[in-house]
Amino acid sequence: MSTLNVRVAAIEQVTPLVKHFTLMREDGQHFPTFSGGSHVVVAMDINGRTHRNAYSLMGSPDDTEAYHISVRRQEHSRGGSVFMHDNVVEGSQLQITMPVNLFSLSKMGRKHILIAGGIGITPFMSQLHDIQRNGYNYELHYAFRSLEHGAFSDQLKARCGNHAHIYVDRLGQKLDLRELLGSQPLGTHVYVCGPSSMVTAVLETARELGWPENHIHSEQFTAPPMGDAFTVQLAKSKTEITVPNDITLLEALETAGVNPDSLCRGGACGRCELDVLELDGEIFHHDHYLSDAEKASNRKIMPCVSRARCTHMLLDI
Amino acid sequence: MERGYRIRSKPNYETLMWREKASAQVVVAKGAGGLAVLQLFQQMYPTQPVTVFYVRGNGSDTDHSATLARVVGDAIKLFDSETDALYAFYRSLPDFRMGTRFYVSGTESFMWSLCKLAKLFDIQESEIMMELSNSLARPVYCVHCKGTTPDVTTNIATCSKCSRKLFVRDHFSRHLGAYMGLMVDAENPGEVPEIEEIYP
Ligand code: FES
Repeated sequence: MSTLNVRVAAIEQVTPLVKHFTLMREDGQHFPTFSGGSHVVVAMDINGRTHRNAYSLMGSPDDTEAYHISVRRQEHSRGGSVFMHDNVVEGSQLQITMPVNLFSLSKMGRKHILIAGGIGITPFMSQLHDIQRNGYNYELHYAFRSLEHGAFSDQLKARCGNHAHIYVDRLGQKLDLRELLGSQPLGTHVYVCGPSSMVTAVLETARELGWPENHIHSEQFTAPPMGDAFTVQLAKSKTEITVPNDITLLEALETAGVNPDSLCRGGACGRCELDVLELDGEIFHHDHYLSDAEKASNRKIMPCVSRARCTHMLLDI
Repeated sequence: MERGYRIRSKPNYETLMWREKASAQVVVAKGAGGLAVLQLFQQMYPTQPVTVFYVRGNGSDTDHSATLARVVGDAIKLFDSETDALYAFYRSLPDFRMGTRFYVSGTESFMWSLCKLAKLFDIQESEIMMELSNSLARPVYCVHCKGTTPDVTTNIATCSKCSRKLFVRDHFSRHLGAYMGLMVDAENPGEVPEIEEIYP
């Protein structure tokens, strides 16, 4: 995995829970350009262990001087976001991967409906640059809890004018998905990023209305759930590793020097899939990639999000 | 034809079945393809709004318009020519919403002409259910003049645009919606093998 060394050039507190980080390259070079919807994976050294979290790039894809990410503090998760909030200061050094895009706009689309919940607005910030530059027809629907949590809502209203529709939960403003998705012209694509309840609601409503799969796009950066520690055996590298309660199987493999492929680190892209050769317990599948049948077979695991309770699990790596 | 050799690019067609998750149903058929539509309506008369575009059969192509009009009722639009039907279909696309499901039955030429129009509205061929009606006639794309000759039933066809004699290959282009046709007498002009009907 090729990585870039970056320095935090600026930090801005956007809402009580969200911080915006401006990253510059350590070597003074320019960053590669990227397409709207891309993310990078930030590596953090927390108590000697490497945590890796994916964050969407929010800036303009043409701006190669700096990359911008925003991080919501997730109090009850495994520390990555808390570390970014409490330990990273202006001048801190971090490592990031090259941008990867698993959430790009469909170029054939005749209209684009963007639906964001809370911090799920971040991938759209860069997509909006692409949309506006290409003059695409679009609507932005942005829902959040209460006014103080509407990160970027003023900025978006200014940028998008009447393309932007804002819904503040506390004020009782609700997005009517059936109404929205039931009245779109042919050739419309819908994109959703936000909490899993929102993503599920959008996917289900669109499918129920008869939208074809290739017009429905979603991205979810759910923090991988924590759980109890467990031990796995590796068939090819002939070792055994223990996965502590607060890091993922993928991170534990990486720490042990075994590097399975990975891209989204959120159980969506399928890149990190591993074959389970033997198992004496159960797997807790947290991904959105494997089919129900594959999950039930316990023959595959997505190590970026899934965990297990077992004394013996032999992985084909 | 070589045994055990399968042409991957050749499309497979299915039997039309209503997709239950839909906001509207749009069915387009030509001639003998009307039978597939009658079968659809035998499954049920859908609860969603439905529109049927039908090109009356003529000559050797069976006409089901009378039966269809009875079964489908007001939702049917009848046409005498393929061009008129496709044009009407295309003109109506802006009126349909996302969630509309598409079904088509007829010859390959007809079905792929429709796919090309639908693509202009970002409806991919994978979203259109296709059932081949009782003819294997092929649309043939002339790689020399880039014209497409519809409904070819023979191994060698005369290009409708440049009149070259074309050998009809099995290689199908989804992008063009046609089989490739290559000039058969390029090396020895006038030497054309026997022409036989193989796609009745
Ligand atoms: S890295 Fe994408 S599913 Fe695991």
